[in-house]
Amino acid sequence: MAARRFIVEPRGLASWRLRLLVPVLSVVAALVVCAVFLALTGENPFDVYAQMIDSAFGSARGLAETLISATPLILTGVAAAIAFKMLVWNIGGEGQFIMGAIFAAGFAIWLGDSAPAVIALPVVIIAGGLGGAVWASIAAIPRVYLGTNEIITTLMLNFIALNLMNFLIFGSSSPWRDPEVSTFPQGRPVPEAARLPEFFIRLDVGIFIAIALAVAAWFLIGKTGWGFAVRIVGDSADSARYAGIRVPQKILGIFLLSGAAAGFAGGLFVSGPVGALDPRSLDLGLGFTGIIVAALAGLHLLVVIPVAVLMGALNNAGPALQSIGVPTATVTMLQGAILIFAVAGEFFIANRIRRPEPDKVPELEEVAT
Amino acid sequence: MSSEVPTPLAAQLRDVDKAFYGVKANDSVNFDLARGEVHALLGENGAGKSTLCSILAGLYRPDSGEMRMGGEQVLFKSPKDALAAGVGMVYQHFRLVLNLTVAENLALGHPDVGVRLNEKQLHQSAVDLGEKYGLPVDPAARIWQLSVGEQQRVEILKLLYRNAQILILDEPTAVLTPQEGKILFKTMRQMAAEGRSVIFVSHKLDEVKQVSDRVTVLRDGKTVGGVATADAEPRDLARMMVGRDLELPTRGAQVDVGRVRLGVADIRVQGDRGLEAVSGMSFDVHGGEVVGIAGVSGNGQRELAQGLVGLRKLTSGTIEIDGVDVTGTTVFDRIEAGVAYVPQSRLGMGLSPGLTTEENLALKAFRRPPYSKGRRLVASAFRDEGARQIEQYDIRGVRPGLPIRLLSGGNLQKALLAREVELEPKVLILRSPTRGLDVGATEAVRNLVLAERARGVAVLLISEDLDELMALADRLLVIYEGEVVGQMSTEEATAERLGLLMSGQREEAS
Repeated sequence: MAARRFIVEPRGLASWRLRLLVPVLSVVAALVVCAVFLALTGENPFDVYAQMIDSAFGSARGLAETLISATPLILTGVAAAIAFKMLVWNIGGEGQFIMGAIFAAGFAIWLGDSAPAVIALPVVIIAGGLGGAVWASIAAIPRVYLGTNEIITTLMLNFIALNLMNFLIFGSSSPWRDPEVSTFPQGRPVPEAARLPEFFIRLDVGIFIAIALAVAAWFLIGKTGWGFAVRIVGDSADSARYAGIRVPQKILGIFLLSGAAAGFAGGLFVSGPVGALDPRSLDLGLGFTGIIVAALAGLHLLVVIPVAVLMGALNNAGPALQSIGVPTATVTMLQGAILIFAVAGEFFIANRIRRPEPDKVPELEEVAT
Repeated sequence: MSSEVPTPLAAQLRDVDKAFYGVKANDSVNFDLARGEVHALLGENGAGKSTLCSILAGLYRPDSGEMRMGGEQVLFKSPKDALAAGVGMVYQHFRLVLNLTVAENLALGHPDVGVRLNEKQLHQSAVDLGEKYGLPVDPAARIWQLSVGEQQRVEILKLLYRNAQILILDEPTAVLTPQEGKILFKTMRQMAAEGRSVIFVSHKLDEVKQVSDRVTVLRDGKTVGGVATADAEPRDLARMMVGRDLELPTRGAQVDVGRVRLGVADIRVQGDRGLEAVSGMSFDVHGGEVVGIAGVSGNGQRELAQGLVGLRKLTSGTIEIDGVDVTGTTVFDRIEAGVAYVPQSRLGMGLSPGLTTEENLALKAFRRPPYSKGRRLVASAFRDEGARQIEQYDIRGVRPGLPIRLLSGGNLQKALLAREVELEPKVLILRSPTRGLDVGATEAVRNLVLAERARGVAVLLISEDLDELMALADRLLVIYEGEVVGQMSTEEATAERLGLLMSGQREEAS
């Protein structure tokens, strides 16, 4: 009988060390792989990485920009994590993000300059969440009651949302469009009362709202009876039905929450750094990047926060790279590589690889002769 | 310990080890199989019987040790290799393609069948083989049209069609009526008479005694003995299986039977394919009484249980709990009304596999104190209540954060039953609660059920296992094709009489 050199077997319970080690190593491995590519194109990878770190964290300004980029990613990350964990494959974060931005900008413009900040800000923020939830419901309701495939519907709705935004700004003279600029169409600035106050260079309080919402989502899922019921549904729908839980209602709830989280991101982005429904600032794939954030965070709603900061730093490093003549696509490549390694790393969390027990080996050789 | 092994040997295992999750399922197993014998493999659940069979059938590769077939050393990389060497297995869960015909299933994967099927020839050989071995089948029938017993016949024919010399039957009688079992035993004897070897896996001592030539007993992954069946007393075999003397639970005399707690009147329930699976059943279960529902698997048991707990809608009829009509209500309402349910599928339904044991113990009660305060969960209640129940119900193998699916079958069932009993139900519905459990866990489950009976709970025990029914039930109803075809007190019941009813022969009303 031939001795096998390695044995792969399912692991019962992964230690927290391993759960931490795998994502960290994924990032390291991605850096190494991308370094090879950079070296092949004639760049010094160490210089490039040093430049990236410096531009993201090296200065107060860089840090502020990193956290500005991280803010929507925390929420789109939560949107993906909360849905995927419950086996709801909402990949419509992008569309829900845009719809949140459209709703938020729309309400802000409708309120106008007359409303004070204490009214305008809550209205605008809630409008963002509402927009995301409404957009998600278009996919969620048929999924829950008719069994349609939400992967396809949410994906298609992304394009509709994007084109709706483009129509509102480029294709019509909608209230969202700035009437004062006629040369190149752009979004109408939202009233000052609907803008989030800045407190650290350009960084606004949206970062705290995003963190608070992520913590609230974590609390809702982990610490409430509703969240417990949802976790049972996510683990086994049959067990949930057996335990008297109304499964369709829970799936609908999670789907809408996921959409709302992405919508909040869009709303905060409009009333924060962008200040208008501006397609050029909003069409950055922040909803899709949220999926990477969620995957890298192991779908953990609190881990999403630091991971979003990391991804924000990467996003932010792109323009800085251009200044030293390195293509911004490096950042996209790095993000993709991290995702691939993180997903592959799941295998090592789920399985154990070991050598056959050494005392057995001589016996096997004996048998083989 | 070991008796003289008849020669020649068909198969031989020497010091075979196989571990899963670092736990040895087979530990230095030695096993000799002679040509022309029916060799029973006895052991409690988890003793390593299935692992041993799967190694022989090429499904698992041993970690170490040696396997010989007819003197030649072999290494099976897959079940295909094993089949080529003449070893085939009938698994507990059949490996048939439901949409294909019997003949097509026989041809599937056969090395001599080319691209085109010679249907006529195939049908003829299916019929011939069936006649020869007392396994009549219709070669043109599609598998889904067949009963479980008939499907089993097809599985055996599949092996014979490949001319397997070693046939492994994993608990084949579990799905059969006693009468069907007898026919199977005849077939097994005939195959042995032709020089084939049959491995018969069972944990029923009387069957082993009845059909086998020799017995190998497994305990904790080790072979503890191989003996000629004729020399073995059932009591000795039982002791070899469990390592101690067995005490069958004694069912105390029936305490006073209370009022009707579960009243079922003329209910009808549809099955998955839209056919009626429960066709007008009526019965009462009183407090302090265990009523057993006996029947061959697939005669409406699942639909009856799901109809009673609200997982399936009734097409007509009524259900009352303590005199209150609960017919149209939801699963949740019925849990609140005092219906506890132990389904057949532990991990697929009764327990949420990825959650921890503590969470599973709260799967139904999490909405009320102490688990919830308002809408918030109380983490300490999960911990403390969990610890108490784990201790009280002797649920072993629990570690913090460990998903419950990694516990053994017996511990899963103890956890499931603990949760249901902790709800202090009025009605307890059980589906084969000791199926696949070892003796220790079976004892624990039976004691729990009997304690509920003593507490005045109405217990409905739906089972395919006559031993289980006889041990627990005060009264038996026999069902066939969704109808109650007979009833009797357990004292009046005999395997013969139940078997006849279970196979659809009605008794004249006396």
